[in-house]
Amino acid sequence: MLINKPFFQFGLVVLTVLALPFFLRSGIMASEILIYGMVVAASNLLLGYTGLLSFGQGIFFGTGSYLAGIVLTRTGVPVGLMLPMAAVLGTVIATLVGGLSIRRQGVYFVMLTLAFSQLFYFLAYTFSDLTGGDNGLLDVPRPMLNGEQLVDPWSYYAYVGVCFVLVFAAMLLVTQSTFGRTLIAVRENEERAAAIGFPVRVFKIAAFAISGAVTAFAGALHAMLIGVAPLSSIEYHTSEIILVMTIIGGSSSLYASVLGASFYLLMADTLSSIWPRWLLLLGLVLVVVALFLQKGLWGLVEKIYALLTHNRIPPEVEPSDLGTDTTAKGE
Amino acid sequence: MTNRRNFLRYTAALGATTALPGIIGRAYAATGAMTVGIPVPISGAFAANGKFASMGAIIAAEEAAANLGVDVSTLDLDTEGKPATAVRRVQDGIAQDGVKLFAGGILSSESLAMGKEIERGGGVFMTTAGADEITGSDCNSATFRWSVPTFGAIEQTLRPIIDAIPDAKRWYTITPQYVFGEGLLNATTNLLAEKGLEHVGNSYHSLTEKEFSGYITNAIAAKPDVLLLLNFGSQSSDTLRQAISFGLKERMTIVIAWASGLEQFEGLGADVCEGVYFGAQYWHNVDAPLNNALRAKVREKYDINPNYSLAGSYICTKLLLDAAAKAGTTDGPAVAAALSGMAYDGLTGPETIRAEDHQVMKDYYLLKGKAKADMQDADDYAEVISAGQSFLSPADSGCKLG
Amino acid sequence: MIYLFQVLNGIGLGMLYFLLAVGLSIIFGLLQFVNFAHGAFYLLGAYLTYDLVERDISFWVAMPAAAVIVALVAGLTEASLLRRIYKLPHTFHILVTVGLALVIQEFVIVVWGPLGGSVATPKSLAGVLIIGDFIYPYYRIFAICFTAVLAFVLYWALERTRLGAIVRAGSESTETMALLGYDTLRINTAVFAFGAGLAGLAGALAAPIRGVEPFMGVEALSVAFVVVVIGGMGSYVGALAAGLLVGVIQSLMATIWPEGARLMIYVAMAFVIVTMPRGLFGRV
Repeated sequence: MLINKPFFQFGLVVLTVLALPFFLRSGIMASEILIYGMVVAASNLLLGYTGLLSFGQGIFFGTGSYLAGIVLTRTGVPVGLMLPMAAVLGTVIATLVGGLSIRRQGVYFVMLTLAFSQLFYFLAYTFSDLTGGDNGLLDVPRPMLNGEQLVDPWSYYAYVGVCFVLVFAAMLLVTQSTFGRTLIAVRENEERAAAIGFPVRVFKIAAFAISGAVTAFAGALHAMLIGVAPLSSIEYHTSEIILVMTIIGGSSSLYASVLGASFYLLMADTLSSIWPRWLLLLGLVLVVVALFLQKGLWGLVEKIYALLTHNRIPPEVEPSDLGTDTTAKGE
Repeated sequence: MTNRRNFLRYTAALGATTALPGIIGRAYAATGAMTVGIPVPISGAFAANGKFASMGAIIAAEEAAANLGVDVSTLDLDTEGKPATAVRRVQDGIAQDGVKLFAGGILSSESLAMGKEIERGGGVFMTTAGADEITGSDCNSATFRWSVPTFGAIEQTLRPIIDAIPDAKRWYTITPQYVFGEGLLNATTNLLAEKGLEHVGNSYHSLTEKEFSGYITNAIAAKPDVLLLLNFGSQSSDTLRQAISFGLKERMTIVIAWASGLEQFEGLGADVCEGVYFGAQYWHNVDAPLNNALRAKVREKYDINPNYSLAGSYICTKLLLDAAAKAGTTDGPAVAAALSGMAYDGLTGPETIRAEDHQVMKDYYLLKGKAKADMQDADDYAEVISAGQSFLSPADSGCKLG
Repeated sequence: MIYLFQVLNGIGLGMLYFLLAVGLSIIFGLLQFVNFAHGAFYLLGAYLTYDLVERDISFWVAMPAAAVIVALVAGLTEASLLRRIYKLPHTFHILVTVGLALVIQEFVIVVWGPLGGSVATPKSLAGVLIIGDFIYPYYRIFAICFTAVLAFVLYWALERTRLGAIVRAGSESTETMALLGYDTLRINTAVFAFGAGLAGLAGALAAPIRGVEPFMGVEALSVAFVVVVIGGMGSYVGALAAGLLVGVIQSLMATIWPEGARLMIYVAMAFVIVTMPRGLFGRV
């Protein structure tokens, strides 16, 4: 399908960055959408391309956030160097968490990542000398550009926008590479892939590593956005939100994640200003999505596109068209 | 799944209508001549505080509108109890709605983060949060605090008890592991050392803990005369309930150094509270002119007695509006200048705002839970044993405000 | 000496954790379904008890009534909603039950307010047992005995009765069960309702100890997950052993290294998973 082709997806990404300022009054909200767009895409890389439902994405997000806090407030390292450091640290921790978690499959894998997310939360909480404990790390500065700090929300948005486009391009390249296609093969039939001789475990860990790098990178951007690296970034709740966004968006393309992140953030913002008990409505939305929108919002877009072009969605799954329906259930 | 198509259309329509307000809705928010942002947790684990805070701010706004003859409105900003959300809402409040005055922040973490952001955005912020850093090492030109710091809370809670029960030699503490708890614990250790009393032990616990029987077992083993709880909110309620179920009320004096006020008494019930000492920032029965007026207004408008969340939010909002009226602008530095050194009749009697660290000098109360039979009305859970002020000097609080 | 007390206290705690987790484990065993709403059923059980006791209904009536109501609510939910999604990947199980947990939690706030409250210990169990330096509330002793009896009955029911055999058979293979002519749909509903009812019962039992507040379900869920993962999903004995293990670790750590009490629970969990990926008693 055309809308799932990489060049089209890339076009959508660029368009999103350019269009958001016209639709949103808040530069903070717009930046947050882009940041979570990356985070969710990274989670999607695991779910959509390898079938791994990770409940531990908050670990990497918090890691990036803390790294930004520590490096920018306690050392003279510039932002340009800090961001790659965040990605590297994210890779390391994701390799560790991923390597241990993929020892089990299905629900057990989910529970393992959940356990790790709790473990890391308590580590961050307990070692407050490093993380600031419950207070978090305050006074995280925004990056400097041409000797000026990006205090204005929209100028920081531009900074995030550039990062967003680059990261997304990199992720699209990954999914188009031999590596990405192999991941799909692994997801579709793990035994067969292993039988052919693919080092399945290595591939899964590599997917985790990439996902962790992107998520930590985004976490660092987020700490600079809000000026603080809070404990709540590494909470179980953050992992849960990321996962919810991923599923709402759908996993048949990477751009689906941007859709999922935008939908969730805008909906939460709107509902919470209407009714304090908005989480009840959110709960209902989640149930509705699971019952009626199993391919997520992007699935809806695909349907509309198919209707418009009078094409039927091809019954068999092509490499670029990744539904979650075939994900192995249970073990 | 039979009518899936219909449902898809419906959800699409629903999506469109609910998404719209989020995109353009904020334009309607700021219509008043003066708007006070109320960044408090309205959803999430501290939702109860936010609900009452919002009510208190409305009363202050209505008063100011009547007194000044201008439109005053409040803008609730749901922090969800998370610093990240709090900061985003505040940034949006400043950038989108032009709000400069902010009264709120229940949790230490969100208040610290918001204070920094509001200073950057040229606003002014008045909070009741517990962290000493707010008017200590992390103080800033835009942030003010109404609540008494941990030092004063411990001084005003413990000294009267030590005087009243001279036999109480052995003290045991249960402390949440974060800076607020550390602050209370430090002040306690110093005071006990000064009085020559024995601190027989302390148990730290995490902020997510709900099971305290292990810590209570520790406390029992140390055989203290006084069990001092330094935790806050639902954690102190849980600890107290569990301590009482272990029969500790009969064996020792139990003290909660930083109670969260009437809301906490309602949650605990009179039977649990009877005979227990509580330190408190505010109590609705205190006889001070402004408090009497507030009590009357709240009873009339909401048919309840003002609790701490409501009263704290009321006074923070009122102070900001009064200062803004005095300064003739809502511009942050000007309002901050008007607030600095201000003396006024507050909810606890005469109060002043110290210019050096932006800390409000006010009374802290020691309450003792009444027996159900002695209660005059449904909210008369406690009698005020003593009230007074203790503050570290600005130099000792660690604040470096020019 | 204090360590002995902590171990005893930990066993008491562990029995409560077992009760909290065993329903989750049973549901998982039969339905291969991860129920993120389990904590919400615990919450609902606690609040129903609170509500009934506030209406001057005896705790001894309120506790079973709360459990039964929770079971009914859960049964209805299963029959109307959850059974539609069993066939979907577990992604959607998580999405739906997370949503359900939010709905229940916010519903509790709408009905009972955000403040929480206390549930008085029943009069007959007020007071404490004192043996030397050891103090323990009668109510907690009751909770331990009650849970122990319940655990035994449950074990017997699962191992010795036809229903238990069906449940165990079902957790091996749903198809086999269907082939044998059992009405799997009804059995699924019954088991789900039963598992959730146990969570409700745990909530009811915990209410006089911990009081009620709207966010108690979240913490309960995380404890239940830890217990189930350590014990092995779907394993009854595992839930018991792991419940006790977690309770004792938590209680002992309260003396040894209180700051790390929670951390150690998750460290223990990670250790078990890494060394014994199926948990202590996992069958699968």
